[in-house]
Amino acid sequence: MSELYEAIRLVAAPDVVIAIVASAIYGLVVGSMPGLSATMATALLVPVTFWLSPIAAIATIITASAMAIFSGDIPGCLLRIPGTPASAAYTDEAYAMTRKGQAEMALGAGLWFSAIGGIVGTLSLVLMAPLLAEMALSFSTYEYFWLAFLGLMCATLVARSSPIKAIASMLLGLLIACIGMENPAGTPRFTFGMTDLLGGIEPIPALVGVFAVSEVMRAMASAEPPKLPKRKFGSILANQWMLTKKYQKPMWRGNFIGIIIGVLPGAGADMAAWVSYAMSKKFSKTPELFGTGHPEGLVEAGASNNASLASGWVPALLFGIPGDTITAIAIGVLYMKGLNPGPTLFTENARSMYALYLIFIIANIIMIPLGIVMIRMASTVLRAPRASIMPVILLLCAVGAYATGNNLFSVGLVGAFGILGFVMERNGYPVAALVLGIVMGSMVETNFVTSLIKSDGDVLPFFERPVSAVLAAMTIGALLWPLGVWIWNRTGGARLQPRGAAE
Amino acid sequence: MHDLTRRGLLGAATALAAPLLAGPLAGPALAQPKWPARPVQMLCPWAAGGGTDAVLRIVAILLEKELGQPFNVVNRTGGSGVVGHAAIAAAPADGYTLGIITAEICMLHWQGLTEVTYKNYTPLGLMNNDPPGIQVNINSPYKDVKQLADAIKASTPGKFKASGTGQGGIWHLALAGWLGAMGLKADHVRWVPSNGAAPAMQDLAANGLDFTTCSVPEARAMLDAGRARSLAVMAPERLSAFPNIPTLKEAMGVDYNSGAWRGIAGPPGLPAAVVSTMDAALGKVFASQEYKDFLNARGFGMVYADAAGFGEHMAKADVSLGDAMKAAGLAKV
Amino acid sequence: MQLSDRVTGAVLVGLGGLAAWSGSRLPGVPGQDVGPAAFPMLIGGGLMLCGAMIALGIGHSFEVPEEEEAVPGRSRFYGLRVLVPPALLLFYMFAAEPLGFLLTAFLMVLVGAFALGARARLAVPLALVAPLIVHLAFYKLLRVPLPEGLLGAPW
Repeated sequence: MSELYEAIRLVAAPDVVIAIVASAIYGLVVGSMPGLSATMATALLVPVTFWLSPIAAIATIITASAMAIFSGDIPGCLLRIPGTPASAAYTDEAYAMTRKGQAEMALGAGLWFSAIGGIVGTLSLVLMAPLLAEMALSFSTYEYFWLAFLGLMCATLVARSSPIKAIASMLLGLLIACIGMENPAGTPRFTFGMTDLLGGIEPIPALVGVFAVSEVMRAMASAEPPKLPKRKFGSILANQWMLTKKYQKPMWRGNFIGIIIGVLPGAGADMAAWVSYAMSKKFSKTPELFGTGHPEGLVEAGASNNASLASGWVPALLFGIPGDTITAIAIGVLYMKGLNPGPTLFTENARSMYALYLIFIIANIIMIPLGIVMIRMASTVLRAPRASIMPVILLLCAVGAYATGNNLFSVGLVGAFGILGFVMERNGYPVAALVLGIVMGSMVETNFVTSLIKSDGDVLPFFERPVSAVLAAMTIGALLWPLGVWIWNRTGGARLQPRGAAE
Repeated sequence: MHDLTRRGLLGAATALAAPLLAGPLAGPALAQPKWPARPVQMLCPWAAGGGTDAVLRIVAILLEKELGQPFNVVNRTGGSGVVGHAAIAAAPADGYTLGIITAEICMLHWQGLTEVTYKNYTPLGLMNNDPPGIQVNINSPYKDVKQLADAIKASTPGKFKASGTGQGGIWHLALAGWLGAMGLKADHVRWVPSNGAAPAMQDLAANGLDFTTCSVPEARAMLDAGRARSLAVMAPERLSAFPNIPTLKEAMGVDYNSGAWRGIAGPPGLPAAVVSTMDAALGKVFASQEYKDFLNARGFGMVYADAAGFGEHMAKADVSLGDAMKAAGLAKV
Repeated sequence: MQLSDRVTGAVLVGLGGLAAWSGSRLPGVPGQDVGPAAFPMLIGGGLMLCGAMIALGIGHSFEVPEEEEAVPGRSRFYGLRVLVPPALLLFYMFAAEPLGFLLTAFLMVLVGAFALGARARLAVPLALVAPLIVHLAFYKLLRVPLPEGLLGAPW
C-alpha cells in the first residue's frame, strides 16, 4: 500500500501535473487538426521528453496519445476528415449525424465512450497484464496472418456501396502497400527508380490525401452547402447516459474486442475500430440504419479504439514489443528514462508502474471536461465560411505531411492521394477500405510469406495450431456467408435478408 | 557536480583556444569566424523514438554543453534510410549540417540502392556499436552455442530457421558471416524475414523459430522476462551491460565479429577547424558520465573511435559486409 | 470525373494485370522459395477478377445511388477547379525550399481562398495570418524545421 501512496506522491508532483495538463491540451489540439495524426503528435513530443523527469515524460506520451486518438474524431465528424486511421472506420457515420443536426450527440458519444474505453482498458492492464501477455505470446505468424485477413474482411462488411467495389478498393490499398523494399524479400518493388519510394507509402499521407484533400477538391466543385440549422450546441453529455444504457452490450463488446486486439502487437487501435464497427453492424438489430447517422456503431468502435490504446501497453511494458507506432515511440522514451520494459518493471519499480496506471486513469477523466471545451471550440468551424476553412486545411495537410519525416516528397504524395480519393469517391469506391488495405498490407504479406517460409511451403500449419484453426474457421465462415446468402437468393429460396454482411 | 563544472570550464577553454591554435597554422582561416557560431543541424536518417534517434539526441545535448551552441536533431526519414544518409552527404560543407550514419551505409550501395558510400562523408567519431547475439527460446534444448552449432552442422540445409530483421538486413548478414566462419553455406539456416527485432523475438517466444541473431539490447526485455536465453555474442569481448554472455570465440573458438554501429559524420570537405573541434568534442562526449550512463541504461555497446579511427572502421566494415552480402547472394554490384 | 462502371472496371483489370505482370518479373531471392513476386501477383489477380465483375455490373444492386450535387454548368473549364488543391500541394513541394515557408503558404492560402469564391476582404487577411500562426506553432513549439527561403520569420 505504501507503494501506492508513493505513486500518488509521484503523480502529484508539480512538474507531472503540468506535464499532464499541457500534453492533454496539446494532444487535443494536434489530434483535432485535419492532416495531423496521433502518431505525429507523439513523435513530436520525443525531444520534449528529454528535459522531463521520468514520470512526467511518460505522462506526456500517455496523455497526448489518448487525447489525440479521441480528438481525431472531431474533424471526422464535423468535416468528414478523420484525424487518425482509427477514426476512418466510422467517419461517414459521424458525418451523417452532423448532417442530421446531431453533431453534439456524435461528438459526445466519441468523448464519453472513448473515456470509458480508456478506463476499462487501463483496468485490464492493471488486473490482467500477465494473462494478456501470455495470450499475446501464444500468437505466432500463422495466427497473425488470419487475424490480419479478418481485419481486411471488415472493409467489406462496413461499406455501404457494392461489396465488390469495397474489395477492389481494399486490394488497391494492398497493392499500394507493396511499394518499396519493406517487404519480406527486402526487394524494391514498384519504386520506378525513385529513392523516396524505397521506404514505401505510410498510411498517414494516404489517409490525409484521400480524406482531407479530396474533401477540399469536392468543395471546389460544389456550391456552398446550406448552413446547418443555427441552433445552440446542446449539452454534449446530456444524451450519453441514455446511450450507455441503451447500447450496453455493444459497449462492453467494444471494450472487450479493443483490449484483445490492442494486446496483439501490430494490430493496434486502427484495426480495433474497424473490427468493432463491423461487429456492431453485424450483430445489430437494425443494421440497415448503419451509415445513415446511427450512434450504435460509434459507441462500440469509440470504446474499442481507446481500450486498445491502453492494453497495447501490455506487450510494450512486459516484453518491449510495440503494439503500434505510438507504443514504439513510448518504448524508446521508457528506455531513455531508465524504466526498462520487462517484468522487473512491475516488481522492482512498482511505484512507477502504479504511477503509470494513475496517469492513464487521470488522462481519461480529464479528457471529458477538456474534450467538451474542445468540441465547443471546434464546432465554430461549422459556422465559418467554407472559403476560410478549406485553404487552411490544405496548408495543414502540407505541413503535417512534411513534419513526420521532414521530407517534401510526402507533400506531393498527399496531393496524388487527393486525386485518387476524389476519383474513387465519385465512382462509388469506398476510400476507407483503401486506407485499411494500406494499413494492413505489410502485416498480411509479412505473416503470410514468413509463415510459408517457416513451414517450407506447407499450408497445413496454417490450420494446425489451435488458435489459428479457430481464426481460420471464423475467416472462412465470414467469407462464405455473403456468398451463401447470394446463392440462396438466386436459387429462389425464401428471401433471406443479406444482413450486414452483404450490404 | 564538481566533475560537471570542471568539464564546462575545460570546454570553454578549448573553445577559446581552438581559433588561436588553428589560426596561425591555417593562414586564411584566420578570417573565418569561430565554429560553431550559430546552431548546428544534426540529421537522423531514422525515425524519432528509435535507437539511433536516441543516441543522436543524447550526443546533441552533450555537444551543446561542450560547444555552447544548440545542436538540433532533425529526423529525415524515408527510403529505408537512403534519404537521410544522402541528405547528410549532400549537405553544404560549412559544418552547420552534420548527422549520424549507421551500418546501413556500408550495405545499401552493395544492393545497388544508392550511389552514396562511406567515402562520401567526413567521419567525425564512432559513438556506439551493438554486436549481434545468438538467442534461443528458454525451453530450447541447446544450452550453449556449441550444442547449437553442432546441431546446425548435422542438419539438412534449410531445416533450422532464424530471424532478427528483414531479408538482407544487418542481422541476416551476421548469420551468414557466422555460418561462413563455421565453413557452412550462407543459406544453410533458413532466414525468416521479420519487421525488425521485436517481432522476431516475439516469434521466438511463441516457439515459431529456432534462434535469432539480433543484438542483445534488442533481445533484452525477453531475456529479462525469462522467455529467451542468449548463448553468445559476436564481439571481440563481452558486453559491459551483459557480462554473463560469452563471446563466440570463448564459447566455440570461432572468431567472427560484426555489429550495427552508429557514428557522427558530415559531408565531404568539411573545414579542418570543424573536424578538429568535433573530434575533440565527441571524444569528451563519449568519456562523459552522462553518455556512459545512457549507453548502459539501454544496454548499448560502448565502442568509440576518433575521426580517423571511424574512417578506418567504415572501410573495414564496408569490405566485411560486402563479403557477407556476396556470400548470401544479396549483392547486386 | 463520373465514369461508368465499365470504365473503372476495365481500369482495374488493366492495373491488376500490370501489377501481376511486373510482379512476376521481380527477381527471386536466393535461399528463399517464396519471393517478392508472390504477393503482387495474388493481388493483381484479385484486382483483375474484381474489375471484371464490376465491368459486368455484378453487385451493382447493392449500391446506394450517390446524391449528385448539381455543378452549375458555367464554363467548360469550371470542372478543372477541383485540380486546384493537388496543384497547390505540388507547388508547395517545389516552392517551399527556394521561396521559404511563409511566402509559399501565403500564395497557397490566397489562391485556395479565391478559388473557393472568397472576396479579397477575407482572402488577403487570411493568407497573411494563417501562415504566421502555423509557422509559430510548428517552428517554435513543435520544432519542425520549416524552410526559411527568401523570407525568414521574425522569431
